[in-house]
Amino acid sequence: MTQVTGYIGRSVKRKEDARLLRGEGRYLDDLNHLKPKQVAFWRSPYAHARIKAVRTAEARELPGVIAVFTGEDFAPVKPLVTEIQLEGYVAKPQDPVARDKASHAGEIVAVVVAEDRYIAEDALELIEVDFEPLPAVVDVDAALAEGSSLVHTEVPGNIYYRGRRVFGEVEAAFAKAELVFRETFRTSRIAGTPLEARGCLAEYDPYQDVLTVWSSTQIPSILHLKLAEIFGMHENGIRIIAPDMGGGFGIKAQIYPEEIIIPFLARALRLPVKWVQDRREDLLTGVHARDHRYELEAAVTREGVLTALRLRMLTDAGAFSSFPFGCTLEATGGARMILGPYKIRNYEYDTIAVATNKAPAGAYRGVAQPSCFFAIEGLMDIIAGKLGLDPAEIRRRNMLSSAELPYTNPIGIHFDSGSYGESLEKALQSARYAEVRGEQSRIPADAGRQIGIGLACYTEISGISSKGYQSRGVADVPGYDSVRMRMDPSGTVAIYTTLTSQGQGHWTTFAQIAATELGIEPDQVRVVDGDTGLAPLGTGTFASRASITGGGAVFRAAREIKRILLRVAGGMLDDLPPEELELGEGFVRARGRKLKVTLREAARKAYEIRSGGSETREIPGLEVIAYYDPPPSNWSNAVHLAVVELNLVTGFPRFLDYVVVSDCGNLINPMIVDGQIQGGAAQGIGEALLEALEYDPGGQLLTASWGDYLIPTALDVPEMKIEHITTPCPSTEGGVKGMGEGGAIGALPAVVNAVNDALRRSRCWTGVPITRAPVKPEDILRRVGAVGAEGGDGR
Amino acid sequence: MSTRTITLTVNDQTLTREVPVRKTLADFLREDLGLTGTHVGCELGQCGACTVLLNGDPVKSCLLFAVQAEGSQIVTVEGLAGKDALHPLQQAFHDHHALQCGFCTPGMLLAAVDLLSRNPAPKADEIRRHLSGNLCRCTGYVNIVKAIEAVGAGAAGTDTVSTGAVGAGNIQK
Repeated sequence: MTQVTGYIGRSVKRKEDARLLRGEGRYLDDLNHLKPKQVAFWRSPYAHARIKAVRTAEARELPGVIAVFTGEDFAPVKPLVTEIQLEGYVAKPQDPVARDKASHAGEIVAVVVAEDRYIAEDALELIEVDFEPLPAVVDVDAALAEGSSLVHTEVPGNIYYRGRRVFGEVEAAFAKAELVFRETFRTSRIAGTPLEARGCLAEYDPYQDVLTVWSSTQIPSILHLKLAEIFGMHENGIRIIAPDMGGGFGIKAQIYPEEIIIPFLARALRLPVKWVQDRREDLLTGVHARDHRYELEAAVTREGVLTALRLRMLTDAGAFSSFPFGCTLEATGGARMILGPYKIRNYEYDTIAVATNKAPAGAYRGVAQPSCFFAIEGLMDIIAGKLGLDPAEIRRRNMLSSAELPYTNPIGIHFDSGSYGESLEKALQSARYAEVRGEQSRIPADAGRQIGIGLACYTEISGISSKGYQSRGVADVPGYDSVRMRMDPSGTVAIYTTLTSQGQGHWTTFAQIAATELGIEPDQVRVVDGDTGLAPLGTGTFASRASITGGGAVFRAAREIKRILLRVAGGMLDDLPPEELELGEGFVRARGRKLKVTLREAARKAYEIRSGGSETREIPGLEVIAYYDPPPSNWSNAVHLAVVELNLVTGFPRFLDYVVVSDCGNLINPMIVDGQIQGGAAQGIGEALLEALEYDPGGQLLTASWGDYLIPTALDVPEMKIEHITTPCPSTEGGVKGMGEGGAIGALPAVVNAVNDALRRSRCWTGVPITRAPVKPEDILRRVGAVGAEGGDGR
Repeated sequence: MSTRTITLTVNDQTLTREVPVRKTLADFLREDLGLTGTHVGCELGQCGACTVLLNGDPVKSCLLFAVQAEGSQIVTVEGLAGKDALHPLQQAFHDHHALQCGFCTPGMLLAAVDLLSRNPAPKADEIRRHLSGNLCRCTGYVNIVKAIEAVGAGAAGTDTVSTGAVGAGNIQK
């Protein structure tokens, strides 16, 4: 049951909708008030090549071209260095524009500034670059092979990071293991590819000596601090504004070369300058994700209990360790989170982030959790199949129960609350699991359509704190967030925050929290987000954090305003102390008495400059700044259950049912939470069945449009039954846990497990499950064909 | 760069402008007329974010040149409802939480207006087929389908949805 307190827990309709529906949103490309000059980039056609000469004279002469820049022009700019304080990590500075060599196809080699984008792109065609092609390294095995070409001489063996840890008695557990299972799981390289690509606009005002940068970024505070450092400017001479964003999903939570180049140009040229990314650039150079290999070895009892797990993990980091999370993000993420809700006491990992001549990898919804749960949940099904156990049963036998909480797993992850078993049972019930198993068993093995059921049980990390980032060695991510809140003399409230919103609806949810705490209506609360000129610095919106960190800061700021307001009102109500007053429905009332003032009167009083009669207040006004650095443990949990009908003639799966049971503690707005789950699961379904960035052996991206890189359409995503269990977080403000990524985490394992389950029932079953995502129709047909050839009936 | 003078009607307002012959209709609407509600997601006709109605039919405005719209009637998202009002579809999108980031929304709305003008009460699978050329990366589509279904159910037995413009939006002089 959803806990309702005031407006918290209610499906309040979104405040941001009307303007977006009317086409009045202000996305980066809509910002034309400065009549900016337009930029286009000349990008390397080679994955790996030495740059011998860049000839730009002809481009400069094209009418309408303002300037052309090459790598040398950016010499005064400090290169971007992603600092990760972990043993085994190698840092490699990155110039915003390549100088000596290009390290991946799409790396910027020259920059054109022109009157409009059409002219800028004409000028690109007039630039000539002499390259000396170098051998390209495009997969992890080739990169790690003896004598491989090096992506960077500074990165020996092409190993950006290697981390090895042993927790518990792994060797002893394997020595006395009753059964040992070994399996390898692979995920493809994928792209978050938000509907709105990235963009950047910058203006330098020499009068005030202020550089204003509008960027489609999820991390304006981090960009603010980094630009000051890179340009050698005072922080107070910079303002970053993240306007409306058409999705982010982590892709906009890194600092990219263009976000350094555009502000640099605005300062150098003393002109407003803008660049809007096109889709090809997005797929070619936006951070990629996954491209993981999990080699798992499990010690298992005959009853199906995992006593130890070994992981060797390889991740393809691409050419650079992206800023600020680094190439360690998924390499350590997958290795650390794979134990999930399971009580595996002995664990060992060896994880490597490999440099290749591909676009850098970075944050994308779920980070490594979709892939690590794909691996462990796939392994669970394989073990269950071998032992003749039901997939639900093997999970029960390994799962942490609520009675065992709080629980610290061998890595040191602390789970203080959750509902792992309860969520599983609820999902099974909601999907009529036993009945569907019955229906499934009645389908003959030689039928052309088979039903499959797939389960995924997972934990989701959320709201990572400053300590959390320190322990991951991530030097440039603060971990706290903040708001400035002001109640005006009229009693309405404004919240200013550097947290961004790229579809999450913070205007609404933050207003719900403030309205609840202050006894006003959400419509009386305005939220201004993503602006470092108006709000204190913080971290940003990613990794399922804003409801915890931003929400927490809103709770605290509202309480402080309430405290001041009650003291002021007390002065107006017979000098009653705050504890005898209550706030609600627009009034401050004396408890148990008829005495009251309107909130508006009290707010006005707080702004009075003259003294006398209001000596109870410390300072005038009702304006506060609040920070929130969350506690270290904020883990949501959920179960996805997918039922598919696999057509063995076409190779296409069709969803018959899809159930999600989610426990993210208290919900602020159930409508928004369900929307996040549904949308996240759609992305996970893409990851399971459609999405793969393909490179040719020379390092050329072959999937550089949405015609080649397929994301789910309205025909691919089923309606879902979404249910909640509410186990409030004991340590966060409001008992909330983050959940923005969860949908994307559960879908990949649940859907692939369902496809394998359907295959397992068919006569095409070879005993070998599919362990590589995405599973495309041709993968199914290949299996059907293989069996057909041997079986002789041609199908 | 060679230009041509074109006359066309956008959201019920007839206007004449000189445009470069190579300028896309999407860029013309956004840059020359200031109607930035039409969004450009891919420039290849794959995502549908730039969908507008041209003489009542949905077109991807990134795939047309502005000069090809000479003499035609265009409706953009800004023309769907009068000032400060919401079209029934816009209201249904709000009620059903059918948008998150809002970037695909204008194209979705115009694709839906087109569907409802042909079929006033479409079923979910017809809606899904009709929207398959409009990508959304946030919502998973389900609430979009529900919103369109709800408008269809509400309109069942009544007149079809008009594909004409009601509002004008703030067209740049």
